[in-house]
Order: sequence, then structure tokens, then C-alpha cells
Amino acid sequence: MTARNRELFALIPASLLLTAGFAAVFIQRDDLLSDLSLTYGAIFLALCLAAHLVLRMTLPDADPYLFPLVAVLACFGLVMLYRLDEDFARDQAQWFVVGLIVFTVTIVALRRDHRILERYRYVIALGGIVLLLLPRLGSPVNGAYLSFSAGPISFQPAEIAKIAIVIFLASYLRDTRQVLVVGARRFAGITFPPLKHLGPLLAVWGTAMALLFVIQDLGSSVMFFGGFLALVYVATNRISFVVIGLGLFALGARVLYAVRPTIEARVDAWLNPFDPDLYEREVGGSYQIAQSIFSQADGGFFGQGFGAALVQLGDNPPLLPAAHTDLIYAVITDELGLLGAVAVLLVYLLIVQRGFKTAMLATDSFSKLLATGLTVVLALQVFVIVGGVTKLIPLTGVTLPFISYGGSSIVANFILLALLLLVSDRARREAMAT
Amino acid sequence: MLEPVSVGLKFAFLAVLYLFLLWVSRSALKDLRHGAFGGPRVATTAAPDATGMYPASSLAALEGDHDVVPRLVVESVPGLGRGMSYDVAEGATLGRGDVEIQLEDPFASSQHARLTRQGTIIVIEDLGSTNGTYLNDELLRGPQPLHAGDRVRIGDSTFTYDDGT
Repeated sequence: MTARNRELFALIPASLLLTAGFAAVFIQRDDLLSDLSLTYGAIFLALCLAAHLVLRMTLPDADPYLFPLVAVLACFGLVMLYRLDEDFARDQAQWFVVGLIVFTVTIVALRRDHRILERYRYVIALGGIVLLLLPRLGSPVNGAYLSFSAGPISFQPAEIAKIAIVIFLASYLRDTRQVLVVGARRFAGITFPPLKHLGPLLAVWGTAMALLFVIQDLGSSVMFFGGFLALVYVATNRISFVVIGLGLFALGARVLYAVRPTIEARVDAWLNPFDPDLYEREVGGSYQIAQSIFSQADGGFFGQGFGAALVQLGDNPPLLPAAHTDLIYAVITDELGLLGAVAVLLVYLLIVQRGFKTAMLATDSFSKLLATGLTVVLALQVFVIVGGVTKLIPLTGVTLPFISYGGSSIVANFILLALLLLVSDRARREAMAT
Repeated sequence: MLEPVSVGLKFAFLAVLYLFLLWVSRSALKDLRHGAFGGPRVATTAAPDATGMYPASSLAALEGDHDVVPRLVVESVPGLGRGMSYDVAEGATLGRGDVEIQLEDPFASSQHARLTRQGTIIVIEDLGSTNGTYLNDELLRGPQPLHAGDRVRIGDSTFTYDDGT
């Protein structure tokens, strides 16, 4: 089977999943077996086929599994959002279409050579930083500056900015990675990069710290800084740079913890979610995280079934606050159980595996670093939100890629996917030619 | 009433999902079995370590050994015989003008590219030439270290780098 035929074949189970999911939600809600679920499944399949045809024409050798894996995630998102609120699902479906259009535009624009991105690296980096600072103009949501509203549209610039910063770093490190290592000095048993080239690295550290203080969101800072350290490590093969970076980051986080009460409150809520004081506190308490754990426990091994999770009781405050964004993973666990939740994580794991495989196959350094960076950032985003929901780390609001409700998240992640496929197409074609 | 159907659908959903994942991961496992790179071995011969990048830290070929002389070997240069070579241990400039390595090449700028020794490695850098310098057929952007066997092309002139070991 050629790569594209594999992809085509893999889209069929994705559409079946959507059909089955909708049918189950209909039964649970209206006790009705409706053929509407078949219609939704068919529309979903048609959209995926359209994207598949674009790939077939433009990137014939790209990785065959990335797109179907993403389609499965999108299917989870649509079914869960429909089950929470029809309006969410309608918006999400529209954003899914917009995402596919942006995906197509990215691929068509960059299909001759994605490496032209390198020429615009400073513009891209500047754009990314400006985007990150935009939310500062608005008012904070739950103590963090994350979204920016222009009229009726509100978007989370961090989603787009993460891609811009990865492109910049990949291009910058491609030029300097050798020099970073060669001039390195050993001091007190740790290898430091040469001072001249340490500057830009410190600038990135400074940016991550500034971000931490400006947007006051630990989640996206971890994402950016983790991506940066991973790229430096891959580019230089020096674990000492990672150690230094982690030390500096820990220092910054500690300072922020000391000066910002919101962060302290989050850490408290994370450590003792079942403390009655914290649980009943109106703002900044542990209600959300505690409810998230309850609902995941409620799921058990096989789950309560589609549409059966308790999210809202009458007109009371929701049992699961922000169920459509932050806590969507908890809803999935409640309804499909451990088995379903592990499946979602497996899908992400496989996407990451395909991403790293692409990086390994790529022959030029920029493509390698780009694929690595994009994959790492996606993986870290999943880690930050799933880790938060399962109480492994303090809960911070980033989206679960391709599943959570949110236009900017969907669109940005489709751009990320397009870039990965562009790298993959070139790499696999070159690998097959020899 | 329709509850059995609902439960059935849930398990069908999970079954299809896991079959799909099994199918995808089977090909992932196949990649692993074919060696670190999965596909043809092209990348392994081009770069030795697991990430497929040149290990940046093992460039110490010149360290401590003063007999080792890095050279730029002529592959095809107008007016020069194949196999001739230039000693570049102390660095050199390539170009059409009054420089160490003179090229009779209409596409070369007068000061085209420069080789400099940085510690234990030789770094090549384009000096803002009109037609660019190519390192292994990739346009040179910014300074890059040379590895044994690297091909340097300026206009119609091609050199191979020999690190002397």
C-alpha cells in the first residue's frame, strides 16, 4: 500500500468512531436511535477526504498516519463537545473547517520548500512575542493573561506563538549549534557555552521569564521553555545546557511563586485539593481539580458510557467547571473509563512517535530541529494539561490539542500538523530515492 | 430502552479505536525493527549518531596533534589540476582577488569565502558573495564547521575538505 492509500484507509475507522459516538450520545439523551449520526459521520468523512485529496496532490510522500491520528482526536473533541453543549460542537465544527482551510493554505504556500521560513526568522520571532504580549491589553482570566479579544472573536495567542518560536529557534540553532559547543568552557564541573553565544540563549531564558511574569501562566511558560531546552539539547548534545536552563527556570518560577498570590493559591489547591477550606473557596480554590478527580474515579475501567457523565445538576454551579476546555480529559475518562483515556494518550504518543521519526529521517538540520521542536511542544502541551487534570502537576489552563473547545487552538495545531507533514514529505522522498 | 445499544456502541467505539491504534503502532514497530531510522539507511551513512546530526562535540580531530594538517583538495577548479590541495591550518580566504586561494572563476566574488580556525575546527563563512557558497550542495548561511569529506562549491569550482587525519 502506498502512503496515501494507507492514509485513506485509516480515515474510515476515524469516521466510524464519530458515527458511533454521536449515535451513543443521541440514545443517552433522547432515547432515540437517529440516522442523524450517520449524516454527521458522512460529513466528517467528506471533510477528511477533502484534506486527504489535498495531501495526495501536494505531499504524496508525507507520513500516512499523522492526519488520521489527528482526525481521531478531532472526533473525540466533536463528540464530547456535542454531548456537553450543542452550541460548542457547532462552533467547534466550524473551526475544524477553518482549521482544514488554513492547513491547506499552509501546505500550498510552503510546498516547494518550507525552508524559506528560515529567511523570515526574526520577523516570525518578533510576531510571536508581540502575539504573546497582546493579552496584556485585556483583563486577566483567573489571574492569567491568556486570551485577547477583538470584537466578538477572542483568541489565545500563545497557541500561534508556540509555532513561531519553534521556527525561530530551529533556524537560529541551526546556525549556531556548532559554535555553542566548540567554544564551551568548563567551570566548576559544568560546561558553559561561550559568552558571545550565551547572549541569545539568555535572551530566550529572559523572554520565558518575562512571559511568566507578564501572562502569569506557568503552563504556557513550561511549554515554551521545555521546547527551547529540548531543541538546545538536540542541537548540541550537551546535557549541561539543559541542567543550567532548568536551574534558571526553577529560579524564576520560585520568585514568581513568592510574589504572586494566584500562583501560590494554585499550588496549594494542587497539594491539598480535598482540604475543605480550599474546596469551598469561591475564587482560586481547589473545587475544579477535586471535581476533576472525582469524575475520573467515577469513570472506572470501562466508563459510564457516552453522555452519562454528570457535568451539571439542575441550575447549580457546574460540577465540572470548564468541562469543555481544561477538563475535557476528565469528561472523556468519566464516559469511556481508563480504557478510553489511555487510548487518547496513545493517540498522542503515536503522533509524537511519528513526529520524532520525521525528525530522524530529515536530512537538513533546520528540518530536523523544526520537526523535533513542533513535536516536543505538542507533547508538552498534552503533558501540562493532562498532568494538571490528573493532579500530577498544578492545573493550568492550556488546551488539549485538537480536542478542547477553542478556535485558535484548532487552527494553530493544524498549522503545526501542516509543517510536520511538509518536513515529512521531503524527508521520506529523499530517503526513498536512495 | 435502548440502553443495551448504548452500551454496545461504547464497546464498539473502544474496540474500533484500539484496532486502529494497533494497526498504526504495528507500522511504528516495523520502523523500529528496521533499525534506528526505519527507512533506507541513507541517513545513517550521512551522519553517525542516533539523532542523525553530526555530533557537535566530537570535532576535536585536530586537538593536540600538530602533524595533522587540514586541507582543501581541488576536485574541479578552472585552471587547477584535480587532487592539488591547499593547507588551511591557519585559515584562508577564497576569491577572485588578491587572496590566499585564488579562483579564476567568473562566478566568484573577489573576497568570496573565508576559512578560519576556531580552536580545533575549521569554520567556513561566506563573505557576502554575489553568487553564494555551497556546502554539500546546500547554500551556506552563517558560519559552519567543516567535516572530513564536505564538498565546498563556489561558482564552477569544487573542493573537498580533508581534515588531515
